[in-house]
Amino acid sequence: MEDYKFLFKVVLVGNAGVGKTCLVRRFTQGLFPPGQGATIGVDFMIKTVEVEGEKIKLQIWDTAGQERFRSITQSYYRSAHALILVYDISCQPTFDCLPDWLREIQEYANSKVLKILVGNKTDRDDREIPTQIGEEFAKQHDMYFLETSAKEAENVERLFYEIAAELIEQARSKEPISQHSRSTADSIGLSSLGSKANYLSQSGCCSSLSSHST
Amino acid sequence: MLDLRSVIGDEDISSAEGIERACATITQKEKEVNERLEAILSRQCQIESKLSGISRSMSTLHSVENDTKSLADRISQTAALAESVSAKVRRLDEARSRVSECQQRVHDLIDLQLCSQGVMTAIREEDYEKGAAHVSRYLSMDQNLLQRTADDVTGSVTSVSKALQTLEEATTKMREIISQKFDEAVRKDDLASVERFFKIFPLLGMHKDGIAKFSSYICQKLEVKAQKELRTSMDVAKAEKRMAVAFADTLTSLLENFARVFKVNQPIIESCYGTGYLLNMYEILQVECDKEVRNLILEFNKNRQIAKRVAQINEYMKSDGGVTLGHFRKPSGGSVDKLNPKDIDSLIGEITIMHSRAELYFRFMKRRVVADLEGSSLEDEDKKAKLSRSENIITKCDLSRQMQELLGTYLLLERYFMEESVLKAIALDTFEQGQQCSSMVDDVFFIIRKSIRRSTSTQSMNGICAVINNAASCFEGDFINALKGPLKNGYPSGYIDLAQAYNAIQSSIQQGKLQTSDAEQARTNFIVQLNNADMSTEFIETLWATMSEEIRGAFANMTQRESEILESCMSGLKGVKDSLKAVVDFGMQQLKSSAIKPRLNPWVDQFLTYNHRLTEEELAAYEAGETFAQFLIVQIDGLLNSFKSVLSPRNYDALVSILATEVTSRLERAIKKSTFNRLGGLVLDQEVRALGTYLTGATSWSVRDKMARLTQIATLLNLEKVSELSEYWNPNENNDMPAWRITPNEVRSILILREDFRIEDIKRVKI
Ligand SMILES: Nc1nc2c(ncn2[C@@H]2O[C@H](COP(=O)(O)OP(=O)(O)OP(=O)(O)O)[C@@H](O)[C@H]2O)c(=O)[nH]1
Ligand SMILES: [Mg+2]
Repeated sequence: MEDYKFLFKVVLVGNAGVGKTCLVRRFTQGLFPPGQGATIGVDFMIKTVEVEGEKIKLQIWDTAGQERFRSITQSYYRSAHALILVYDISCQPTFDCLPDWLREIQEYANSKVLKILVGNKTDRDDREIPTQIGEEFAKQHDMYFLETSAKEAENVERLFYEIAAELIEQARSKEPISQHSRSTADSIGLSSLGSKANYLSQSGCCSSLSSHST
Repeated sequence: MLDLRSVIGDEDISSAEGIERACATITQKEKEVNERLEAILSRQCQIESKLSGISRSMSTLHSVENDTKSLADRISQTAALAESVSAKVRRLDEARSRVSECQQRVHDLIDLQLCSQGVMTAIREEDYEKGAAHVSRYLSMDQNLLQRTADDVTGSVTSVSKALQTLEEATTKMREIISQKFDEAVRKDDLASVERFFKIFPLLGMHKDGIAKFSSYICQKLEVKAQKELRTSMDVAKAEKRMAVAFADTLTSLLENFARVFKVNQPIIESCYGTGYLLNMYEILQVECDKEVRNLILEFNKNRQIAKRVAQINEYMKSDGGVTLGHFRKPSGGSVDKLNPKDIDSLIGEITIMHSRAELYFRFMKRRVVADLEGSSLEDEDKKAKLSRSENIITKCDLSRQMQELLGTYLLLERYFMEESVLKAIALDTFEQGQQCSSMVDDVFFIIRKSIRRSTSTQSMNGICAVINNAASCFEGDFINALKGPLKNGYPSGYIDLAQAYNAIQSSIQQGKLQTSDAEQARTNFIVQLNNADMSTEFIETLWATMSEEIRGAFANMTQRESEILESCMSGLKGVKDSLKAVVDFGMQQLKSSAIKPRLNPWVDQFLTYNHRLTEEELAAYEAGETFAQFLIVQIDGLLNSFKSVLSPRNYDALVSILATEVTSRLERAIKKSTFNRLGGLVLDQEVRALGTYLTGATSWSVRDKMARLTQIATLLNLEKVSELSEYWNPNENNDMPAWRITPNEVRSILILREDFRIEDIKRVKI
């Protein structure tokens, strides 16, 4: 056995060019890649983080935003523990597509999946989507909300750490049940996603996540 | 001088004896001193001879010193000499290189003259190879140096500048002529001339133009060929009975033509142009290739009705949304006519071939271009830039984009094929008497293996992984639901007793047909699905192993990243096993609550109707008739037998295990409600043993553990006297006896069940 207690799959989705790959690279490698080409199909990175003294392996799936890769990326939704839906705060069309993405998620993902809405590129001064608009959209659709900048490393660590912490909490609340029927770290994670009602009731989370972002 | 005191020590010299003793001591000392002196004197001669030796050496040393000095002088003189010689040599070298440079310039000048005279003649005589050779010679000269030479020698010899001028003009002219001639050859489609002039371009320093012109000539030819092949593709396919793969064949041929041209011309380019120019050719060819593939795909889409089928599938999948159990999904609105998965089977196959051809084409081109660049003498920086440009062309070219779209279509069709075929297999599930599983297990695994296997022929890791993911979804969705469906309602317990069953059969016979009742069918269905789920846990393991091996075999050169992605997706497939096990567990629990408990409990509870305080006569009478254990075992045996032949071995074992747990805990409860005397305890102990023996024989694993508590309770109730307990009491495990599963408090409450045991004795017992 490797030395981690939980394994979680995190999948990033959203229009092409919103900065998914940059967010993942920033988090896993600590850099902002210059001349980043569009992602082909899917890519994946692993990072082990420690939350509350617990080692957690995050398997981060970076999907291609371009339409023609949709049938590839859709196949990764089902096994995701968390879905990060990304838009570009300086690009209205990427925000306008969010309902389409939600439909995809609804169709393919586990209904209990943890969903996070991320407005990326806060470093840009040509903002088109005010923070409040993003936040409201997230609230309406039962998602966490956070604004980030992969370029300035703003809120990127926080995004993934909060996800890890939330997933652990959900896993813990289910752990006793899952323990005897499932043994691998992987399936503990999968089977232990909290019920929707469970995290919906934590209405404070939404604001707690967004309070830092300006 | 010797200090007297130190010699005589603290001898008392005031007495005569003291003085004598001191005297003796002194004499002794004197003797010693004399001996030492003699020893020293004896070495004098030796030392003197050594000293004389040394003084002789001294004079020799002096002469050595002089010699050394003169040697040092001579060395420094030599060094100075060498220095001056090497300076001269250096100057000489310099002079010689200047001379050779000079010679080179003279040669150049001579050649210049020759070239300038020859080039015009050559042009006039249309001997372009010769002319180009002259130009090439001229171009190989250091142009700056030439210009300087020309300047240096102005005045005396003007022919140098004139020659230069002539050559410059000739170069320009040659370039014009060759370009013209090449174009003319292309117009006339005169392949020999095209090749002739293609080889001349590099001599005129027109590498890039040459490659560009030649490549576009090739493109023209390839275009014509591709269009013709596309036009005739259907006829050819019909003639060769390859209609199903007509477009795959056409694409194969198209890409092969491009690759062949590339391969055929590579040696010519490398010998006439040198290395590093293949990329230029590839870049131009790729644009043409993109165009031809685009035409082909347009035709393919039209002919194979891709857009319509994709729309049909999309609409159909959306209209359905959820999953229907064990039935085909029905089109909801009625406007959508459903696509038969069989009808797209061959189309899916054709697409995988098309995709794999493009992958192979890219690999071929990349290998050649990269090898050419790696072997070139380009600067590192330049090489790196060109390598990344070649990578860029491949990832961004239209062919790549087209293939990505094609792969998307493939994945949609494959998913539809897989899901629909699985639903069909479930709907057409048949069970043959005598089998443990029904047809759908084999069928579903066959379908999914087929899809995964087919995905490997796309040669795309992205495609394979997506199909594996979809396969896992399909298992976890439709398949698991189909298995679980019949289990949800529980096992129909059916007839209460044999009489009822007999009547039911009688009545069916009277009606002239032996109909299987609904309950009967439901029972069979329940058992079969339970077996199916159990069998599937094995099948999924096998599927995982064989597919892993096949894919790794087909992709020998996977990158680390690709390998990890594949690994992760495959583990998703393996994870289906957990879900299947959960289905089996669920089914077993259902079986327990609907078939085991309701029947088992009344039988075990019969225990309460028996007398456990027996006299000798009563015991004899009891043993002469059917004992409780015999009754219970017959009943249990009947129950187990009804399952033994129908359940899979693993499921049957699980059932026996569940039953053993139920029997023992129920019986324990009944025992605790009864009272015993000595003989009653004896009988109980025998009966528990009989039960244990029976259960052990019923299954392949040990029931000893499950029987432990009950056996121990029987042992307690079978004691002669309370005090005997200490012989049996063994709270810890050892080789002979299992550890006691009963706490001291429980022991006491069980002992109380023996009416002949006194409370005080029980209280007193040390445990
Ligand atoms: N200013 C700014 N630019 C960013 C940021 N994140 C990404 N970008 C830029 O946005 C462009 C696209 O980034 P990617 O990370 O490749 O986008 P993607 O979402 O992965 O795109 P696809 O792979 O095609 O789906 C790149 O040019 C990045 O440099 C950010 O936080 N700030
Ligand atoms: Mg990307």
